[in-house]
Amino acid sequence: MDLALDAFSSVSDELLLVAFGNGDMDAARALTMRLTPRALAQAARMLGGDRAEAEDVAQEAMLRLWKVAPEWRQGEAQVTTWLYRVVANLCTDRLRKARGVGIDAIPEPEDDRPGAEAGLQDAARARALDAALAGLPERQRQAVSLRHIEGLSNPEIAEIMDIGVEAVESLTARGKRALAAALADQRAELGYEDG
Amino acid sequence: MAEKPPLSDLELDDLFAAKRRTAPAPAPALMARVLADAAHVAAAQTAAPRATAAPEGLMQRILGAIGGWPGAAGLVTASVAGLAIGLATPEAIETLTSDYLGAANAFELDDFMPSYGGLFEEG
Repeated sequence: MDLALDAFSSVSDELLLVAFGNGDMDAARALTMRLTPRALAQAARMLGGDRAEAEDVAQEAMLRLWKVAPEWRQGEAQVTTWLYRVVANLCTDRLRKARGVGIDAIPEPEDDRPGAEAGLQDAARARALDAALAGLPERQRQAVSLRHIEGLSNPEIAEIMDIGVEAVESLTARGKRALAAALADQRAELGYEDG
Repeated sequence: MAEKPPLSDLELDDLFAAKRRTAPAPAPALMARVLADAAHVAAAQTAAPRATAAPEGLMQRILGAIGGWPGAAGLVTASVAGLAIGLATPEAIETLTSDYLGAANAFELDDFMPSYGGLFEEG
C-alpha cells in the first residue's frame, strides 16, 4: 500500500477520483490512504471521541465519495472540502439523534510511541485539548478544529459549514479565546510556565 | 485567588500541533472496509449498463411493428409515391371520374391506362 501511495503522491485528489471513476482501483487505494485518516479525525472530534461511531461516519463518507466519482465535475469543488462537508453533515445528523456525549466519554488517545517522553507530553497535551474542545459549542469546536488542526482555509471552512467567511472568523476567534481560558489552569501540567 | 492568564496563541498552536502529531492512524480494518466499498461501487458501475438496459422507446416499438428500418424505408417510399400521384392527378383517373359523374356510357381501353401526359405540358 505504501508503494501505491508513493506512486500517486504528486497526483491531485481530483485526478485520482476521476481515475477511480473510470475503474482504477490503484487510485482508490491512494485516496483511501490519503483521505480516510482525515475523515476519521474530523468525525472523531465532532462526535466527541466516539471511535466506533467515527469509523462508521468515515466509512460512510468515503462510500459517498466512491459513488459520486463517475459524475465528479472537475474544477467545481475540492475533494477534501466536499468530503469534510459530508463528514460534518453525517456527524451533525448523529449528534442530533443522540445528544449528550460528555467529556467522560472521550477515550484516552492511543499512544503510538510508548516510552518516548516527547510522545507522552504530546499525548497529554492532545488529551487536554480534546477535553477543552469538547467543552466548546459544537460550531466553535468544528470551526477551530478545521482551521487549526486540519489546517483548512477560512473560505474552505465556510463552504463546509455552509456559513460566511466572517462567521468562520468569528467562530474560530471565540473558540480560541475559550480554549485559552479553559486551559489556563493546566499550564503547569501542559509544560508551560507561568508568564 | 488570582486568575491564571489564558494561554498565548503560541502555546495554543503548540497544543494543536501536538494534537496533529498524536492523531491515531485509522485501524487497518477500517481501511480494508473502505477499499472493499470502493471495489463494490466500481463493480456495480461497470455492471450497470448491462444490468439495466434502457427501456424500449416509442420509435423502437413502431420500427419493430413495421419490420425495422427496411420496413420504414418502404413505408416512406409508398407515402411519397402516393403523394406524387395525388398531386399529379393522372388523366386516366380524371377521365373516369368526370365521365362517370357525367354519366358517360362507354370507356375505351386506354381510359384505364395510367397517363402522365399532363405533367409534361407546358403551363
